[in-house]
Amino acid sequence: MSKDFEQQLRDVLRPVEPEEGFEQRVMARIAGERSRARSKVTRWVSVALAASAAFAAILGTHEWQVRREEQGLEARKQLIEALRLTGEKLDVAYQAVNRESSPPTDVDGSGA
Amino acid sequence: MKASDTWPADELLIRARAGEASAFAGLVRRYQRTVYSIALRMLNDRHRAEDLAQEVFLQLYRALDDVESDTHLAFWLRKVAVNRAIDRMRQESRHDNEPLTEAAAISGEVLEDDPLLRRRMAELLAQLPPAARAVVVLRYQEDLDPVDIAGTLDMPINTVKSHLKRSLTLLRARMQGTAIVEDIR
Repeated sequence: MSKDFEQQLRDVLRPVEPEEGFEQRVMARIAGERSRARSKVTRWVSVALAASAAFAAILGTHEWQVRREEQGLEARKQLIEALRLTGEKLDVAYQAVNRESSPPTDVDGSGA
Repeated sequence: MKASDTWPADELLIRARAGEASAFAGLVRRYQRTVYSIALRMLNDRHRAEDLAQEVFLQLYRALDDVESDTHLAFWLRKVAVNRAIDRMRQESRHDNEPLTEAAAISGEVLEDDPLLRRRMAELLAQLPPAARAVVVLRYQEDLDPVDIAGTLDMPINTVKSHLKRSLTLLRARMQGTAIVEDIR
């Protein structure tokens, strides 16, 4: 214990180099992490693209259904209108037939 | 020696920030001794120290934009290395029953005179609790003054001084005990 105690501590704690190739191992680990990060980004992009395609398909189907419903309603309206017109015409025809088949009445009212 | 080893430290940092891999490798070479030694003295295991030192440089790679200068880089590396080591020691709760053979072997490699006493000192260092050990390592390995140690560990300066005083007293007392035993032998 003749030597200064703090100096002894410094000797014990003298910095040491890591094993040969430390720098290469660090760089390899960084490269590995970067490629993992890249593949994660690629995976996210694929998921996002697939989700967009699915969303577009759902939206397209919905749009198509709405249009079909509108077309159906329009056709229904036209059919009702056609039926109404037909009904009116039939009514007129019916009245005309009725008029022709009923016996003639005395127009001048003489009864002769 | 590689070309990047001759570049001034700040230039190395600027080039590494710009994405030049050889510049970052130059930074690793420049600081690997500091970071690895801190990890080794804290964890007393070569493999875990290597792993921790690699993680510190990985973290540096991700945080390069936050590092302002070479001086800041040295401070940053010490801080991250010590704090990661303390976290790992606490997680693993190994500091209470650490195998001391590795600590002894590590110190024995570099010391020529009085190897028994120095081996013993390395063993005693390995028994210090994480924060106290970090203070001693930064003081006697990295040659930092108490103000810088306080900054590195985010610790009040009085706590640093108290850790240093208590650790030195403890180490000295135990070393004297060892010396007496050695004399008796």
